[in-house]
Amino acid sequence: MSFGGLHTDHRAIVAVAAIVFFVLTLMIAVLPALREQALSTPTGARPRGHEEERGRRVYLREGCGFCHTQFVRDLPMDRPFGRPSRPSDYALEDPPMLGTQRTGPDLADVGTRQPSEAWHLIHLYDPRAVVPQSVMPAYRWFFAEKDQAGPGDVVVPVPAGIAPRGKVIVAGPDGMELVRYLLSLKQAKVSP
Amino acid sequence: MTMEPSAIRTRMRDPGLVAAPSTDAPAVRVTFEYVAWATVWLLAGTTIGLIASIKLHWPEFLPFAWLSFGRVRPAHTNLVLFGWSSLVLVGVSLYVVSRTSRAPLWSPRLTRIALWLWNLALFGGLVTLLAGVNRGPQEYREWVWPLAVILAAAVVMAGYVAYRTVAARTLPEVYVSNWYILGGFCYLPILYVTSYLPFYQGGLGNTVVQGYYMHNAMGMWFTQLALGVSYYAIPLLLGRPVYSYALGVLGFWTNLLFYPLIGAHHFIFSPEAWWLQSTAILFSVGMMVPVWAGTGNLLLTFKGGRGAVRRSYALPFFVTGLIGYGLASTQGTIEAFRTANIYWHFTNFTVGHSHAAMYGFIAFIAWGAVYGLVPRLTGREPNPLAVGVHFWLALVGVLTYVISISAAGVLQGLAWVSGQSFIASVIAAEPMWLWRTIGGLLMVGSHIVFAVNVWAMRPHRVIAPAPSPDVVRIPA
Repeated sequence: MSFGGLHTDHRAIVAVAAIVFFVLTLMIAVLPALREQALSTPTGARPRGHEEERGRRVYLREGCGFCHTQFVRDLPMDRPFGRPSRPSDYALEDPPMLGTQRTGPDLADVGTRQPSEAWHLIHLYDPRAVVPQSVMPAYRWFFAEKDQAGPGDVVVPVPAGIAPRGKVIVAGPDGMELVRYLLSLKQAKVSP
Repeated sequence: MTMEPSAIRTRMRDPGLVAAPSTDAPAVRVTFEYVAWATVWLLAGTTIGLIASIKLHWPEFLPFAWLSFGRVRPAHTNLVLFGWSSLVLVGVSLYVVSRTSRAPLWSPRLTRIALWLWNLALFGGLVTLLAGVNRGPQEYREWVWPLAVILAAAVVMAGYVAYRTVAARTLPEVYVSNWYILGGFCYLPILYVTSYLPFYQGGLGNTVVQGYYMHNAMGMWFTQLALGVSYYAIPLLLGRPVYSYALGVLGFWTNLLFYPLIGAHHFIFSPEAWWLQSTAILFSVGMMVPVWAGTGNLLLTFKGGRGAVRRSYALPFFVTGLIGYGLASTQGTIEAFRTANIYWHFTNFTVGHSHAAMYGFIAFIAWGAVYGLVPRLTGREPNPLAVGVHFWLALVGVLTYVISISAAGVLQGLAWVSGQSFIASVIAAEPMWLWRTIGGLLMVGSHIVFAVNVWAMRPHRVIAPAPSPDVVRIPA
């Protein structure tokens, strides 16, 4: 076997390697991505409102997607999380957050499964107040502790003993927006 | 001009290629600076990783926004990938390129500029990710684009130095190490730019690119440099030619043909096109060809060299790294099968796999190269006992880590398949998360010992210019 002229020609090695990799990149990444982009057409799901969109940015900022998928597979174990995900589910997502780790439950349809704003606020303030074995971080920086609620404040109904004595927990804008986003995570109805 | 393999094998016995240490002083310094900065990022990156690990069994640990799990997780991965693993391999690779070309490093100055751009990107990446400034959970491309531009510029600069050094070689043939190293420097910029350009990344298009990107970062960058360095350092340290030069070349081409097609195996059962997933599974099997060509070839080079391994403090790292390469890659192939994917996908098993690869393979090869080559550069050796302490802490640490976190993954998968409520999988995994932290503690401890050893190998303040007979400066 001969290696041809390549092993004495650094230009040829670099050129062949780069061109082959570039062509494979087009074939396996760019062209399939263009195809999936074209397939990801919205199915009449309501576009996000202003507050929900800001909540999505909080979700990105805090890296929620490293522990929570938004990707329901057509497998029995995924049934509790909703129907199997479709390309159209991600049409308006930038970036789509299918995820690779499910340390916490899938959130693709959490707005349907857990529609209570109060539950989400308590859960973000202290996850272990509602799920004792949870290992989720407590997002205390979304909330303020006040002596008493002012006009327009959303008071978080934390269980007794969770908040400091004599204080009320008030949801800040980040917390409210994140909950709006979570509640907006509802899989659009599709015909099977 | 063609050369038959037998002629190449003869050439590889040429003592000139396993030459005595002799490099010009600026190249010594800049190579060492890469290793030293890599070590700084290793300490920072793995300390942050340890914080992330502790948080899973002690969620109230360090309850600050900047150190919350979702922020330290990408800070950890980016620092150990682009800080530690990349910088150490680039530094050592540039030395290998220069030695195997028997030419001085083309421009130590440009090499140093690349290092500082690299450090700037890493520092910016660390601060922005902890501040929550990111592009969302898109693994290993969380950095905002200006930082990505800086990193890409640094990669291109270092790659250009490697290319010009090979171009100025004083041997007719390009040694196989340089195929891998120049290949890596070609692939990473293509990969990185593809992953950041937005035109085809709407909706699920983004996910296709995500799979392609995170997978190829491993096989087309880290693996390339690690194998390139191994094909030089292992024969050098053993004092014998590589078992089969032809297998090395075969590994290079099969890696290029099979590896890029595998990315979609990170999204099995996703709404991505079924053919894309099936292609990925098929070539995940094909990947076994370059993997075992590389592992087998380099391990067979050790045949009859057991005495050398016992006497060397660098070679045990290489043996471990090569075994890590074979095992982690085979594990990856098995994980790609749809049946296995049902049990393991989304679980911590993936985390165990990535640590088996990036640590059991890449980090151990990098350490072997640092301990094997840097003393030849600087003329200073670390304390062999301290190297032994590093080796055993790192090995026991990573075994503890990978075994416990893989067990956590299996327990999670079984809990899900059995249809229990989700929290059952958290409860099942939690004892294993504590073990993972114990493994992580040993690993970080070994890195502190490594840092001490790197310091012991630092260059002398004044490096005597050592004109060597086998280095001829050729005008660029």
